[in-house]
Amino acid sequence: MNHKVIAKDGIREFIDGLIEEYRVFAPVEGKKILRLREISSGEEACLDFYNTKMSSKEALFPQNEVLFTYKKDREAIEKEATSPMKREQVLFGVRPCDAKGVTLTDVFFSSGEHRDQPYLEKRDRTAIVGLACNRPLNTCFCTSTGGSPFGKEGMDLLLVDLGERYLVEILTERGERLLGAAHGLRDATEEDMKLAQRLSNEADNAFSKELPTEGLSERLDGMFEDPIWDTIHQKCVGCGICTFVCPTCWCFDVVDEEKANGAIRIRLWDTCQLPLFTLQGSGFNPRPSGKERLRQRVMHKLNYFPKEFGSLACVGCGRCVRECPVNLDIREIIETIMSM
Amino acid sequence: MVGGEDKIREIAGRLLREGEVDLIIGYEKGTLPLRSTPSFIRDQNDLYKLIWDPTCDINLSKYLHGRDEKIGILAKGCDARSIVVCGSEGQIDMGKVVIIGLPCSGVIDRKKIEAEMEGREVLEATFADQSLVIRGEGFEEVLPIKGFMDDSCLSCRHRNPPVYDVLVGEPLPEITGANEYAEVDELESKSAEERWGYFVEEMGSCIRCYSCRNVCPMCYCKECFVDETMPAWFGKTNELTDTIIYHLVRAIHLTGRCVDCGACSRACPMDINLKALTKKAEKIARERFNFEVGLTTEEAPVLGVFKEDDSEEFII
Repeated sequence: MNHKVIAKDGIREFIDGLIEEYRVFAPVEGKKILRLREISSGEEACLDFYNTKMSSKEALFPQNEVLFTYKKDREAIEKEATSPMKREQVLFGVRPCDAKGVTLTDVFFSSGEHRDQPYLEKRDRTAIVGLACNRPLNTCFCTSTGGSPFGKEGMDLLLVDLGERYLVEILTERGERLLGAAHGLRDATEEDMKLAQRLSNEADNAFSKELPTEGLSERLDGMFEDPIWDTIHQKCVGCGICTFVCPTCWCFDVVDEEKANGAIRIRLWDTCQLPLFTLQGSGFNPRPSGKERLRQRVMHKLNYFPKEFGSLACVGCGRCVRECPVNLDIREIIETIMSM
Repeated sequence: MVGGEDKIREIAGRLLREGEVDLIIGYEKGTLPLRSTPSFIRDQNDLYKLIWDPTCDINLSKYLHGRDEKIGILAKGCDARSIVVCGSEGQIDMGKVVIIGLPCSGVIDRKKIEAEMEGREVLEATFADQSLVIRGEGFEEVLPIKGFMDDSCLSCRHRNPPVYDVLVGEPLPEITGANEYAEVDELESKSAEERWGYFVEEMGSCIRCYSCRNVCPMCYCKECFVDETMPAWFGKTNELTDTIIYHLVRAIHLTGRCVDCGACSRACPMDINLKALTKKAEKIARERFNFEVGLTTEEAPVLGVFKEDDSEEFII
């Protein structure tokens, strides 16, 4: 039986049980901003929400991450690795778009010869408890990018809010182990399953429109020099919001910082939308204006990544649409490209 | 301000037709409720897109930088003042700009409306004279626009553009009696520790996306100090020590230049009260130098000139 039911009253207790064994991250509302934060009690978790402001990317690939510390004297350099995670962690209440984002992050950090140890060590020791979306926002477009509001990709458990109770679908062995922390589980009945199916159908139908993404990558082939970019980028002010809130933007910078007794090497989020990203030592910048930079973002997500890895690097979470200060809407960009 | 659209389209159409400008920069309907988006119009056939309502909150003067064309730009009081500042600082060729002035009764603050909705999603919003009709799934609410206006607008001193080429409609009466420094005064009345606590809390959530800088018409440095690498003036993380330096230095750079349009605070995805710093800087310029920026094209930057009678009480 892969489907269980837990009463809403029992969910906090379940999280408390998880906290005894794992570090648990859940949506927490602090200063009006909802984002994944480590919690010390189930009471802190907010499970009634549309989506978090920042994606769950920040739990696995934080904005700043110390890779190692080092000391240098005349003789040698002494390097000390950042201590590995002591406990396994659980990301609780992750929406399907973000969980799918994690699967693409896995691809990014583990493909070919480049296996990114700092990420993969964390990822291997991370379980994801998803929470299906009963109410997609009007900025959501996951169904246009290969996902769905009840999608399961990347999750170990999927919770479905059935009103007074949650349906829990066990998706992996790791998920099953997590459920060991839950009390008062019962097997799901046919009625529970029907209700979940109905909610899933309703959520699927809640999208006001489907974007034409079939053949999008191919359409972008040969469009690098197209004059359309002159118009598309016009209103972009060139900040980095869209990339920072994006679950599938992973570019980073690496810097060293001197501290009192040694130095640290930090990896931090970078963004292709800022000029410094491609500024070369000679002073030459191959992407000198907003046009080249916005084109890069669009091409990377919708052409380069799909060609390399077989999937759009966009999960349709809609964060960039919601947060852009000038309402530059990637859905419109997609529609414009497809209408050409 | 609702209903000026026909007039705007007529003026913009004439400017394009008569070759006075090559491009009109205005507002059009956004893809989301309560949002407008910048509109770049070169063709008469696109004039219908232009709108003018309380969602027109973007300071379009940002788009004047680095353009060679002759431009007609829609400008509220604050936007027109920004254009004047950029002009007096030699960043915009005023001879190539036609300011289409908009007397403005204020723009809405989406964050206030979102808070009022308590988690219900706004799917449609329309404006009537003094009210805003919000619709979502299974609800409709009529809100007074004034209650959901941007804080900058509630105490705005220049609802009418002080400088313009054409004015859309009649000037509005200016607001009197509003204490625009209420928030600054309150912060000033706190102890240093309390103030520090406040800014730590505010700046602590900064993700350094630089949207505040990039929407600001006064932030036009070819290379911002945060982007300099030789030397790097401070760290690139979003730890407080780094973020707070960014915000403090930016506020200092804006002293005597900020017109308090509120664009930075509106743009911030993390809802940081950036205006707490810039408004204080503006207050200093006003109190120390009796200077209000952006009112005339003849002005010189307040921190760029020395006058014998400059207030010097802060010099030890």
